[in-house]
Amino acid sequence: MLRVDSLVTGYGKKQVVNGVSLEVGRGEIVALIGHNGAGKSTLLKAVFGLLPIWSGQVFLDSEARTTATPRAWLRAGVSYVPQGNRVFADLTVRENLEVGGITLPDKQRLRDGMERVLALFPPLKDKLKQQARTLSGGEKQMLALANALILSPRLLLLDEPSLGLAPPLVTEALGRIQQLSRDNGVTVLIVEQKVREVLKVARRVCVLRNGAVSFEGIAEELRNDTKLREVYL
Amino acid sequence: MQFVVNGLVTGAAYALVALSFSVVFRVGRFFNFTHAAVFTWAGYFGYLCWTILGLSLWAGALLSVCLSAVLGVLLELSVYMPLHRRRASGVVLLLVSLGLYTIMQNTISMLFGDEIKRLSGNTVAEGLSVWGARATRIQLAIVIICVVVFVAFGILLRLSPFGTRLRAVADDPDLAAIQGVQVHRFRLAASALGSGLAAVVSLLMGLDVGITPTVGLNALMMGVVAVIAGGVDSTPGIFLGGILLGLAQHLGVWKIGTQWQDAIAFAVLILFLVLRPQGFFGKPLRKAAV
Repeated sequence: MLRVDSLVTGYGKKQVVNGVSLEVGRGEIVALIGHNGAGKSTLLKAVFGLLPIWSGQVFLDSEARTTATPRAWLRAGVSYVPQGNRVFADLTVRENLEVGGITLPDKQRLRDGMERVLALFPPLKDKLKQQARTLSGGEKQMLALANALILSPRLLLLDEPSLGLAPPLVTEALGRIQQLSRDNGVTVLIVEQKVREVLKVARRVCVLRNGAVSFEGIAEELRNDTKLREVYL
Repeated sequence: MQFVVNGLVTGAAYALVALSFSVVFRVGRFFNFTHAAVFTWAGYFGYLCWTILGLSLWAGALLSVCLSAVLGVLLELSVYMPLHRRRASGVVLLLVSLGLYTIMQNTISMLFGDEIKRLSGNTVAEGLSVWGARATRIQLAIVIICVVVFVAFGILLRLSPFGTRLRAVADDPDLAAIQGVQVHRFRLAASALGSGLAAVVSLLMGLDVGITPTVGLNALMMGVVAVIAGGVDSTPGIFLGGILLGLAQHLGVWKIGTQWQDAIAFAVLILFLVLRPQGFFGKPLRKAAV
């Protein structure tokens, strides 16, 4: 579904991603792991059009989308949730969802979308009129995800959804993402630091080191082979 | 009683300036000195339209407000948006705006001279009696327009989809862009709205007391004090901040003397910065997300 071909990008003059190629197939969860500064988040930002791509290409369903803006990605059914479960702290939960759904074509779709995500995340239902700053960490994570899911995306790009969550909530959050993918056929590309947990939900895994892919394979292999783990993690 | 009426009029004007500045500040997140320049230029647009071109009150006002909004948008398009795109820091933006302000103020001095210009012609406005005090028509207009604008603005910001998006952009522009909000459009809308609003106050104050090339900076300083007293993200707070500042100044003038007017304003500023930096209704300060 998503294909990244020898992508090179960075911040300012500093090159961070040095020619990464990877593929995400329909319906699968692919985990992107690696050390701090390996270029995982940078790669995701470049793919979503938040950073200029220096060279290389990005394809969605074999269609070139290298220069697509975030708005174009959203319209094509691809949502991105940035690091840290960011939500609009000053806005209420309802207003957050309204902004999350602004690329929807009409109000009816917005209402349907809101109903759907509230069914997925029932705790948010009672807090629609509360400012998002008053939510707990777990609830903020739900809201961040709900903001992306309100558009019924086919592909989700997630940047460390577990960041800042307490350990039991990490498992819960990742489990929720797995369930979502299974139930609705959403394809997921997920960047994670919590390697052990993400390997349980991902089908394939891609390890980045110094801005390049150092291992690519089935998540289960990496999970069970201690030698591989030593070499690549 | 006279000082209460004067204080309310001045306070209403400060509150409007503060509101116009807060619109620009919330979206830009830096101390924008050119807002003061736009304020000054608006007064001189009024002078051009009314005194030189001889347009009617309403036509001249409308044209001046539109020209000022266009000026604000042009500054945003040509200067601030390219800087934002390069991720310039708040200090860089502040210094750029200070430099531009100086140029724009001096351009006015060059074109029109430094002496005070009257916008209201030569007729001395007759005073009306309010609670046993005297106030001119234009002073009453300032108070009424202030209330109307604040109510309208509160509704726009809280209840319209446009307002929700504007607040989203003010809260976290990067996240807004990620969710498909066309952030640059809202930056332009905010500068048009803020500049147009500044022009309305500038014309009203100009009609009341006349204009000089430095009216903008004086007004902006008072507006900023009111914003800090009220809390930048709180529309009712800004209203209250402006009114209280106006009252405090005129009470001071009545009790101590006119030369202390600015000292009183800055005493209010220091009090708030030390005791309650978030303003009346402001939320606790947080570091801006990088």
